Amino acid sequence: MAEPYLVVEHLTKVYERGQVLALKDVSFTVEKGEFLVVIGLSGSGKSTLLRCINRLVEPTSGRIFLGGVEITRLSAREMRKMRRKIGMIFQQFNLIKRATVMTNVLTGRLGYNPTWRTLLGLFPKEDRELALKNLERVGLSDKAYVRADELSGGQQQRVGIARALMQEPELLLADEPVSALDPATSHSVMQYLEQMNREDGVTVLASLHFLSLARRYGTRIIALKEGRLVFDGPPEAIDDAKFKEIYGEEAEQVEVR
Amino acid sequence: MNGYPDGIVKEPPEWLSRRRLLDALILRLKGAGQRLAIVLLDMLAIGVLWILVSYIISWHVYGVIAYTLVPWWLFGVGVVEAAAVWESFGRSLGHRLARKELRPRQGGKSTLGQRLVYYIAWHITVLPMVGLLASPPWHERLAGLSLVPFSMEGKKPTPWWRTSSGLFMAVFLCAAVAAAVSVTMDKESLTRLFTQAGRTVKFWKALFSPDTSILLPSIRDLVVTIFMAVIATSFAVVVAVPLSFLAARNLMRGPIGRPIYTVLRGAMSIIRSIEPVIWAIIFLVWVTARRAPFAGVLALWVHSIADLTKLYAERLESIDPGLVEAITSTGAGRLQVLRYAVVPQIINPYISFTLYRWDINIRMATVVGVVGGGGIGQRLYFYLKNLAWQQAGTVMILIVILVWAIDYLSARLRAKLA
Repeated sequence: MAEPYLVVEHLTKVYERGQVLALKDVSFTVEKGEFLVVIGLSGSGKSTLLRCINRLVEPTSGRIFLGGVEITRLSAREMRKMRRKIGMIFQQFNLIKRATVMTNVLTGRLGYNPTWRTLLGLFPKEDRELALKNLERVGLSDKAYVRADELSGGQQQRVGIARALMQEPELLLADEPVSALDPATSHSVMQYLEQMNREDGVTVLASLHFLSLARRYGTRIIALKEGRLVFDGPPEAIDDAKFKEIYGEEAEQVEVR
Repeated sequence: MNGYPDGIVKEPPEWLSRRRLLDALILRLKGAGQRLAIVLLDMLAIGVLWILVSYIISWHVYGVIAYTLVPWWLFGVGVVEAAAVWESFGRSLGHRLARKELRPRQGGKSTLGQRLVYYIAWHITVLPMVGLLASPPWHERLAGLSLVPFSMEGKKPTPWWRTSSGLFMAVFLCAAVAAAVSVTMDKESLTRLFTQAGRTVKFWKALFSPDTSILLPSIRDLVVTIFMAVIATSFAVVVAVPLSFLAARNLMRGPIGRPIYTVLRGAMSIIRSIEPVIWAIIFLVWVTARRAPFAGVLALWVHSIADLTKLYAERLESIDPGLVEAITSTGAGRLQVLRYAVVPQIINPYISFTLYRWDINIRMATVVGVVGGGGIGQRLYFYLKNLAWQQAGTVMILIVILVWAIDYLSARLRAKLA
């Protein structure tokens, strides 16, 4: 059997000299084309887990393989190259607020272009065309030259998706992509992620707060509790008992429609 | 295979690992440092109050200045004892500022006995400073008390006049005001303030009857002053922008970065604390008085660098790390992250700070001119020295107009940038 696409082995992350344990001995694998949802309470280590995969956060110990390459061993330079294939979107969108939507989307191509040209704000014509194409895809072609902070939350997250699309990623990390959005907008954003997953074959790792969203979009779910992996399986396998184990005794299930 | 007998211990226990030992050491040092800081703060507060009270008593009762009223060694012992009593039997100022309190390890309320044990043990273990290195410190362990974060859980708020710290602060403020009054004021000058205003009429008259004949050369000097500020500010920006990156806490991490940050920030606050007038005198001696405005420019330049570096660096420290993460995650290099994640967040504040500093420099340039740094200030000083009140008044009116105009202009521009 072929090696899985993403392998995480005994991943541990300790912050601040042993005071805060964010991840403890987490291991799992992801096949190409999966839509894996990470659930868990706030502070359970979801964000840290995603950030370890593109090494925005340096793991304390453990290994991560992506497409057979050991990510945790790459030099800073090699890691930069590797990051081009790993798109990421964020809870707070993290756009350049004072810049246009176009500029924001083009930053997705920074890794593919020579430094000196991008420092002057110059991007090749193909990139600009690709940017317009991707903006059209997320339904924002008429907003290309609008300042990013003039957009609504849902629109800003779609710009974030377009920026990730510019990288032509194989893997997409989504760190609570809809937590700052209202329920209706949440679904529209999640549908773009689903589309990327189905049509472009992008493997998606998304952390979500709501179990209902996780069930609706995930092909598989893993759950973290206080930095430990407590569940790994198909969405149907999370019953009431499992739910209470992950979220605590007093939790109630909330539906997002 | 690692030197340990088979079947008994497979590997060294985890607490013996280097990281764990280092963690434990740092934990103890942190705890000791915090407790020491609390004691020192209490001693400082009590000591200063004692000095203030002694000063007032000796001045008003004996008519001399005495700072302790008792031999210095008695003063020292008194301060240490007072701090110990305060910390053992109440919640001291230091505890309050550190947001800590002493609570029994078992919960519930502490007894007088526990407090007494704490007070005695404090002398035995804390004074020689050995007891602090245990975790928890010995005197706390003996008394069964522990220093924990303060919590209002299950308590009612106490009004300030029922707390030792509140009373202390009230007494302290009264003593400080009383001491300050007795140092700076006396009855004679106070009566003069309300009766002798007529003496100044001559000056006011001269100040408000401008001498138009010196208007043109004065305006020429005014322009020199503006140029001094512009040059000093723009050259300061050139130096301060790169320095600010080295002086930002969030960018300078690790064993190389942190010392650079500390040294740079320290140097900048020392330079800032030396007044531009002093710098002007230094540079007048340095570059000789031949080209006076140049010394003034250098003085403003040095002071502006320190000030701008601090303002810029503080702005850098508060940038949103999310955007840095986002741009880094696209595979961008260091310079690209700087250009697309950092610069967009700092460019407007940087311009705004620069304008603000330019505005300050114009005001400072006139002050620097007084010591011979060139520009309008030098002219003002010349008239004042020669008791030419009418001409001095003219120059002062011009300065007021200039400062007001620049103030207004820079405020408007900065409002646009915000």
